[in-house]
Amino acid sequence: MVKIKKNIAISDSGFVFDPGSGDSYSLNPSGLEIVQMIKLGKDFSAILEAVTEKYEVDSDSFERYYYDFIATLAQLHLTEPDGKD
Amino acid sequence: MTKLAFERPIIQRINAGLPSKYGMSHRLEPLSHIDGTPIKDLIGEFGSPLFVLSESTIRKTYKEAHRAFSSRYPNVQFAWSYKTNYLNAVCNVFHQEGAWAEVVSGFEYDKAIANGVPGELILFNGPDKSTEDLQKAIRNNSLIHIDHFDELYEIIHLSKEMTERPKVAIRVNMDTGIYPKWDRFGFNYENGEAWDALNRIMANKNLDLMGLHTHIGTYMMSVDAYRIAAGKLADLAIKLERKHGHVLKYIDMGGGFASKNTLRGAYYPGTDTAPSFDDFAEAITSVLMSSDIKPDHLPMLILETGRAMIDDAGYLVGTVIANKRLADGRRATILDAGVNLLFTAFWYEHDVRPVQPVSDQTEDTTLYGPLCMNIDVIRGNVMFPLLKKGDQYVIKRVGAYNNTQWMQFITLRPNVVMLDSKGNPHLIRKREVLETINSQEVMPEHLKQFKL
Repeated sequence: MVKIKKNIAISDSGFVFDPGSGDSYSLNPSGLEIVQMIKLGKDFSAILEAVTEKYEVDSDSFERYYYDFIATLAQLHLTEPDGKD
Repeated sequence: MTKLAFERPIIQRINAGLPSKYGMSHRLEPLSHIDGTPIKDLIGEFGSPLFVLSESTIRKTYKEAHRAFSSRYPNVQFAWSYKTNYLNAVCNVFHQEGAWAEVVSGFEYDKAIANGVPGELILFNGPDKSTEDLQKAIRNNSLIHIDHFDELYEIIHLSKEMTERPKVAIRVNMDTGIYPKWDRFGFNYENGEAWDALNRIMANKNLDLMGLHTHIGTYMMSVDAYRIAAGKLADLAIKLERKHGHVLKYIDMGGGFASKNTLRGAYYPGTDTAPSFDDFAEAITSVLMSSDIKPDHLPMLILETGRAMIDDAGYLVGTVIANKRLADGRRATILDAGVNLLFTAFWYEHDVRPVQPVSDQTEDTTLYGPLCMNIDVIRGNVMFPLLKKGDQYVIKRVGAYNNTQWMQFITLRPNVVMLDSKGNPHLIRKREVLETINSQEVMPEHLKQFKL
């Protein structure tokens, strides 16, 4: 399961700060929502269910967006290296 | 209740600071894993420094190259260039993929035979083939690529003594519009020497002329040179058929395709400038397909490219020994691998990365190796993160030539591991020990004792 690194600070407005690298990032609202669900320990299927219930998106498209997004988080070193979904 | 519109999730880095001429400031991303295996664990198990080869990258690159040519030409064969990396495990990955062996010395020839390559699937290049090498190659029906007239006459001489018929090709050098022009290997096209050699072979009843070979250069950035070379070899093939009614079995375009490494002094990175396999394939095959060679006489197209096949699969990982300041205040970082292991540092601006994420701060740094030589520089003047003693680094794209041209100078060569398709490491060359070196030395009796 993907885990956001413990030291990453995420504000309610989607501002992300990585104290390890000094980098800061901004999340769009859907990105923020997903990151918050990941932080709560939800796995992909739980997130998929929550998102498809609330938003106009099919599960195939969401899966693609989701994994692309997770890969970006990993690329930015915001997730734990061995966390997989 | 209607659902809300969905926007795909994104995260964007907030950039501060001034853009350089290439845009925003450059950051060296750490590389912590190779094929899913943590570099830290590999160093822990096999020591530092360590060469790591990725089997899956080799196979992927081979398939990509093969597809580029075989999708454009009916009869394509790759031969693994032993000199580029003749670690047996590497050779066997290529042989498993279907590559023949291309060797340039008796030593490499024996290595290919010992690996189990059938003699008739070995291409024997190079200017130095001893009489014994030639006899062996003739006996095994190997494909001998003749480099000069002395070799041709030696083969003619041997053919009279032996029962087997030598299978030969000539190596052709030519002007392909590039500088430097490689004219020391083989017979020249423009001055008629190559045609002369072909006629002499055809006049001899004991030799089987199998093909034509050329190797126009190394780290070739221009596909046009291959277009010209393929055209000239096709012309020779057509002339042979017209004059002697002889149909060649193959045309061997050699190797020399550029890898994605960046040459020292290059303005743009190699990742942007190196032509793709498709570019090379298009240049070569379009000329052969549109030449006057009859469609049912199209020869097999052999490729011996080495560098572009293996460079990406090799990594050199290691540990920072120390940091120091140079006289002019620049930072120097000393790594535990130098030009003794990384011969290609003389040619390339290698892509060196930290293994662990470190601070975003970078400093103008020169990366030195551990040798007591001033020329032992892995990278000069690179904006590099502030690694400290004990931090680990990884150097990308080192698969070509380093495991064949490395030096045993003041220290011993390290372990080499290959990661299989699941990312499991396999030791494929053991680190040298003192005994490895001393076992080759002989001490004269009168020098065995000394008193200090």
